[in-house]
Amino acid sequence: MTALEFDGDGFLKDPQIWTEDIALKIAKEDGISELTTQHWSVINVIRGNYLEKGMAPMIRTICKETGLKLRDIYELFPLGPARGACRVAGLPKPDGCV
Amino acid sequence: MKKLTKEQIDKALKVLKMPADSKLITHLNACVHCGLCATSCMYFIALQNDKYTPARKVELVASLYRRYCTLTGKIVPKLVNARELDEQMAEEMIDILFGACTMCGRCVKHCSIGVDIAYIVRVGRQMLAAMDLVPATLQATVDAALTTGNNMAIPTEEFVDTIQWMEEELLDEMNDKNARIPLDEKDKHILYTLNPREPKFFPLSISAMAKVFYAAKESWTLSSKMYDVTNYGLFSGNNEHAAVIAQHLYDEVKRLNANTLVLGECGHGSRATRWEGPNYLGMEYDFDVITVVELINDYIRSGRIKLDKSLIKERVTMHDPCHLSRNGGLESELRFALNNSVSDFVEMTPHGFDNFCCGGGGGQLAMSEYNDRRIKIGEIKAEQIRKTGASIVVTPCHNCIDQLMQINHTYKLNVKIKSIAEIVADALVIEK
Repeated sequence: MTALEFDGDGFLKDPQIWTEDIALKIAKEDGISELTTQHWSVINVIRGNYLEKGMAPMIRTICKETGLKLRDIYELFPLGPARGACRVAGLPKPDGCV
Repeated sequence: MKKLTKEQIDKALKVLKMPADSKLITHLNACVHCGLCATSCMYFIALQNDKYTPARKVELVASLYRRYCTLTGKIVPKLVNARELDEQMAEEMIDILFGACTMCGRCVKHCSIGVDIAYIVRVGRQMLAAMDLVPATLQATVDAALTTGNNMAIPTEEFVDTIQWMEEELLDEMNDKNARIPLDEKDKHILYTLNPREPKFFPLSISAMAKVFYAAKESWTLSSKMYDVTNYGLFSGNNEHAAVIAQHLYDEVKRLNANTLVLGECGHGSRATRWEGPNYLGMEYDFDVITVVELINDYIRSGRIKLDKSLIKERVTMHDPCHLSRNGGLESELRFALNNSVSDFVEMTPHGFDNFCCGGGGGQLAMSEYNDRRIKIGEIKAEQIRKTGASIVVTPCHNCIDQLMQINHTYKLNVKIKSIAEIVADALVIEK
């Protein structure tokens, strides 16, 4: 396996090397002990959007495609969609105030 | 670091040699090295290293000024501790002026002679920007705003979809077809602005404010293209970029023919647009510019909205965004809004004018390189919050909110973090 490298904020330096095991490792650092089906549905939407469009999806897209409510997503990832979910999904840190 | 070219050095020195007014020279020469500023700085308090003392930050820029702009410094630089602008100096400036200052300005208020230290730090950043040495992460946020009109590069159709979604939820909740979130509507009283973080990831603050507008029967609109209240040009130090971004909002007010530009909950954006904007653009605004907190207070004072503060019984504290309270004069306005919305409000120590930064200001949140320092200085804020015993922290700045979310998690504070619009919306009594 390629060495795991993170930026200063703990986001994967190379999003291409992401695996489900890496997702679990990052999630545990955030205090999420187990990734449920709901977690995975969010992660897969984020990952898919990133691979297709090169950026994190809007929270609107995540809700639409997973069928989850906004508040569910905030509860699943206590650090929020950016520092929480996008980091677990192996994306680079989004620009802006996140 | 790559060797600095003569062209780079000349551009940086031009910032020192051709200041717009006498302020720079006055403040560079005024520091008497008393050291009172040290304990006002979160970096010095948290990391206990002399290099973080605000006076040392001033000295970086002042030593270059002496070297290149004074006779003694040009002839015998060692005599006056004047330094060369070389690679080592540039690296030190990047590390300290970008990586160890939130530009919160707390040191300025503690300075025995009133040196505007945050301003000097920004001049140092201007020099680095002139040499194309802005940290890539911060520059990416500026570039996104320059090329797309918002700092998260949100495509217009995705923004519109999100706003329509929030409008549907509001229509459902209010059960009234007048509960709307207007987009691109001309001739309205107010053009409202957002931090792109809201539509991208945290849109409930948008519907909360829309609910307040609905209760106040306001004539307002959002723009589908130029709605970004932030201006990271303030932090990158590139005034040309800052001017392009300020122009975005100016042109949009004109295009939509609004009377008043209302700045969404953003500390630095409020400062950059309201106070710095006319300087970047070289002209005065010919329309009113106010923050959303002042607008909400107008609604409360004039009775346009009614609040029932008994609805929120939890203990609430306030985090003052530096550019709204200390550097924006809104300390009492923020408290007026909160005292009318909640029943158990407690202050942090210190607060208001002397408040500590959240730790994420000055572009720190965007610069991953300095994450460890940001989290470390954030512990000061975390402990302030913990001591209040509050379960809700309110702050009118989405940048502060993000930093507070992170320290809430890291230091296990177990608090909820809300914007002013959200807490006011929670206390709203809608009369039909």
